[in-house]
Amino acid sequence: MSVTLVSVLFVAAGLTALGAFIAAWKRDLTAALTGLPVMFAGAGVAFVGVARFAAASGAPLLGQEVAVLLAIAALSAVGLGIGLAGREGSR
Amino acid sequence: MDSLHAIGFYVSAALAGVGGIFLAFLQGNMRRGAALAIVGLGVAGIYASLSAGFAALVVLVGYAGSALLVARPDYRTVEQAAGRIWRQLGAVGAALLLAVLAYAAFRGHFASATFNGGPFGSVALGKLFFAHDALATEAVGGLVLGSLVGAAAAWRRERPRDEREVRR
Repeated sequence: MSVTLVSVLFVAAGLTALGAFIAAWKRDLTAALTGLPVMFAGAGVAFVGVARFAAASGAPLLGQEVAVLLAIAALSAVGLGIGLAGREGSR
Repeated sequence: MDSLHAIGFYVSAALAGVGGIFLAFLQGNMRRGAALAIVGLGVAGIYASLSAGFAALVVLVGYAGSALLVARPDYRTVEQAAGRIWRQLGAVGAALLLAVLAYAAFRGHFASATFNGGPFGSVALGKLFFAHDALATEAVGGLVLGSLVGAAAAWRRERPRDEREVRR
């Protein structure tokens, strides 16, 4: 059993498509928003896979850097989305 | 990559996929938050098995924060205006996206390189963040700051529970 760049990219494709499905399928916008971190995770997995298996030139950890930035951007997107949806009061 | 890392990769990938499917089909904020936490756990495992320990740590913390936000019981639900047919078309589009990406991954010819970094790589990543790509790091920092300020400002306004029904 081994892991290659192709298998990493398959996993990344699955996560990205799953995130797109969640964003498209959910009727509630705040629930659809949760597809965004899944899509970002797919992109991050692809970047980390390329950094691990195919970074032939340049900074070898550039893919990991992008994955970290994507994770932070996903958190801020969820925070902004929930904040914009707003608090439900009892009035 | 030894077989232990390979098993870790495939188990983590399955965990992330199952969490994503739960996220798509479970109802309720608490369950969706738990599903997002499972996705984060799986993605962190994938990163760790690909020798990206620092990225795994950040993903674990970031997705735990996202899961806690999603699991809150007190935010409004905002229903989409798009009808059922458009949502179904979106789902078909997601399936097409999967097919295209999988085809590109299967048919692509990729360069092969030997990985010389360590399992964690925080020192090399720190040099990238604060020296090589400082502008990108600052841009993401600005994005986080802007979104936090925007979210806090929007959250301060408490909306009545039946606002949507009143508008209709």
